[in-house]
Amino acid sequence: MSKSMLIISRQAPWAGPSTREALDIALAGGAFDLPLGLLFLDDGVFQLVAGQQAAALQQKDLTANLQALPLFGVEELFVSSRSLTERGLIDAQLILPAVELDDHALAQLLDRFDQVVTI
Amino acid sequence: MSTLLIDGQEIALDKDGFLVELSDWSPAAAEALAEREELPLSAEHWEILELLRGFYSEFQLSPATRPLIKYVALKLGPDKGNSLNLNRLFKGTPAKLAAKLAGLPKPTNCL
Amino acid sequence: MATLHLLSHSPFSDSRLASCLRLLGPDDGVLLSGDAVYALQPGTAQLQALELMPASIALYALDEDLQARALSAPARAQAIDYPTFVELCGHYAKVNSWL
Repeated sequence: MSKSMLIISRQAPWAGPSTREALDIALAGGAFDLPLGLLFLDDGVFQLVAGQQAAALQQKDLTANLQALPLFGVEELFVSSRSLTERGLIDAQLILPAVELDDHALAQLLDRFDQVVTI
Repeated sequence: MSTLLIDGQEIALDKDGFLVELSDWSPAAAEALAEREELPLSAEHWEILELLRGFYSEFQLSPATRPLIKYVALKLGPDKGNSLNLNRLFKGTPAKLAAKLAGLPKPTNCL
Repeated sequence: MATLHLLSHSPFSDSRLASCLRLLGPDDGVLLSGDAVYALQPGTAQLQALELMPASIALYALDEDLQARALSAPARAQAIDYPTFVELCGHYAKVNSWL
């Protein structure tokens, strides 16, 4: 059994290459059937906002790419409810069916994975 | 770098035979690309190529092998969406070869 | 001497916006670009703080950065394009970039 890994993505979508790097790890790992989880934390929750227009910044469509995660076998998706609340997004419609977790549940989540990487 | 001649127009290919400009794709380009691979395209092939183009327009990326199989199974059923069938249709490298013929970028996560 | 303050970092991961708000002069302007436009996210303390600024302080946000983040400018802020951005930089006596 391969080691499980939780990827924590905590940067806003257009802040730099970090969001793309977190996504690439998830897609590559998923394609090889590794047991992966992806957690959106802090400004990372902005990646889940619907209606973003990547073309306005001549960027690749992150929303479309993120929606491929379940097909790549990455189905364990989580989001911090505190981060959503701080950003006025707690009732917003998200582009992925991520499970909302409070701080206590997040600590348990980290505990459940063999490895954790924060980007 | 080489080129493909379609209806008197030259289309640029990269070193691995993928289209340089994705907008250069047409059914005729797919036929010509398949000819370079010595692969006659049947209705079964076309069904997968059209599905792949749908995948790309939805997700803006090319699928690796596993996601490709999963997607074909989801859309066309498990009789078509399995590695045996896709390997048979695309000479053992379905993610790479089908992406090439469908005019998609090279899949980055397919080793 | 009025200053235009340029902010480009997310106000949720950083204290630039908070510090900037503390030292604004009465005729200064605040221009949000890049991730700083997240300060206009409805329902946040950040937007509330911007809305509490005196009316004499102008608030601008770069339109393409709003669009990319699925945000729209609230009544308090004016969405601007790059040519207007440049024009504003000339209009104020000083420009302070919060790099």
